[in-house]
Amino acid sequence: MITLRGLTKRFGATVAVDVLTVDVAPGRVTGFLGPNGAGKSTTMRMILGLDRPTAGQALVGGRAYRELRRPLREVGALLDARAIHPARSGRAHLRAMARSNGIPAGRVDEVLDIVGLDARAAAKPGRTLSLGMGQRLGIAGALLGDPPVLMFDEPVNGLDPDGVRWVRQLTRTLADEGRTVFVSSHLMSEMQLTADQLVVIGRGRLLADAPVAEVIAGSGVAVRVRGPHPDGLATLAAHLTAAGATVEPAGPDELTVTGTTADRVGDLAHELGVRLHELSAHSASLEQAFMELTADSVEYAGGPTGGGTR
Amino acid sequence: MIDSLRGAVAAEWTKLSSVRSTWWTVLAGLLVMAAGAGQLAIYVANGNTNDDPTDNAGVVTAGRVMIDAVELTQYAVLALGLLAVTAEFTSGTIRTTLQCTPSRGRVLLAKAVVAGAVTFVLGLLLGGVGALVARPVLGEWGSAPAAGTIGDIVAVATYLALVGVLAVGLGAALRSAVLTIIVLLATLMIVPLSLQEPDIAVLNRIADVFPGVAGGHFLAGDTDPYPGAVGLLLLAGWAAAALLLGRAALRRRDA
Repeated sequence: MITLRGLTKRFGATVAVDVLTVDVAPGRVTGFLGPNGAGKSTTMRMILGLDRPTAGQALVGGRAYRELRRPLREVGALLDARAIHPARSGRAHLRAMARSNGIPAGRVDEVLDIVGLDARAAAKPGRTLSLGMGQRLGIAGALLGDPPVLMFDEPVNGLDPDGVRWVRQLTRTLADEGRTVFVSSHLMSEMQLTADQLVVIGRGRLLADAPVAEVIAGSGVAVRVRGPHPDGLATLAAHLTAAGATVEPAGPDELTVTGTTADRVGDLAHELGVRLHELSAHSASLEQAFMELTADSVEYAGGPTGGGTR
Repeated sequence: MIDSLRGAVAAEWTKLSSVRSTWWTVLAGLLVMAAGAGQLAIYVANGNTNDDPTDNAGVVTAGRVMIDAVELTQYAVLALGLLAVTAEFTSGTIRTTLQCTPSRGRVLLAKAVVAGAVTFVLGLLLGGVGALVARPVLGEWGSAPAAGTIGDIVAVATYLALVGVLAVGLGAALRSAVLTIIVLLATLMIVPLSLQEPDIAVLNRIADVFPGVAGGHFLAGDTDPYPGAVGLLLLAGWAAAALLLGRAALRRRDA
């Protein structure tokens, strides 16, 4: 169980996380979505006691991270897969972590086995690890203390399709075992497959905290309207807008309408005498829902996607 | 508390011993000590046998020569304490370390314990090597009384351990290896040397408070301007102050 209460972080004049109040419940995979610079990594760092909140609290199992005696047994986290000493082997990295929390050395081999790093890969110095191997090593570190709470920041970054499928299965298994699993990602399609619950933030603010199905349903159904007469379509668009629907031109002879149904668009077109060649309903994907939710909160509009972590 | 400190110490030892740079640093220290002690011993022997009577040092102990060689050797040893902290900031592993041990004070204390213990043992080794090299080179101009030499070796190990801890504390406060080594060079050597240069009494007194000079008085077993034990306490005070500074920085700043 992760509890955020009015969690706020300011860097000078910039508000990275803005009065975030969220409960991340055990037994399910909670996806943590947001555009670049939305405050996902900062939120996770505050949960781990790495960054100090400007205001509010982040609690794990009801306690602040800095108060935990053997934190690896309470919370496992993958933050940055590249954070390994260039000359230290993955095995030594994990062994140091294990020793700090009184975890038996044998557990290191167990987690290496779980994440599929063989003895040769685990003996390689950090600088030679690929991003994918770094991710697996980071996940191994998160699993080390067999904790009831797990956090993964962009875990599928750098993984091949097999690796992506493996992370999906792993997070599912961990949640089914009753653990709290909190996974951030900018890959919405991935979250659609992985998560049960979604926490969406933009500019540090909570935009949605609901089951995945609900977030998708909330964005409603998009109706595609195609017709041969641009003037007719314009008339139809004006009436639809007046009726409270959202209309966007999708081409010279095409409209995308949300906030209404295909039936009502068809009725209206008939009343107005507008000729249509296509009228079809499309259920929104999580991607669309996400775009709508975060439309006003994208910090770097038009910028490249991905990254956003430090 | 003691239990989790033990875990943190074990983790720090694992981290320090699992990177090759640690062992290269040890080797570099040994080479610098052997070369330095040999060279200084040659100077002593030459000074006694050349035509210039003003540089006659007479019979010198191997321990004395070895102590003089520490002045240079200490920078190799400093790197150990320094890198144990600054490498964590460079590679980003400080976040893993603080995830494992959220108490900033405990992390720093564990690093200080490991760096101090390692540099103490290394100091014993360096002192032994220095004396072993210096004694035969000194020839008839040297002596190596057993008790005195062992005392010198232990003193050097103590000095290096405290300077190693000083480096740990400063590294945590400054985060950057380059910045830390500059500040260490300044406080150990440049500033006190500059103060002593004009040979003005009040400036000399100020220089005497600096860690390198205080350590030097301790190593030489001086009685003036203060007893050697006071020099040791001054150096220990600097190391403790650096640790407190480092802890404050770790607590205040985001990782």
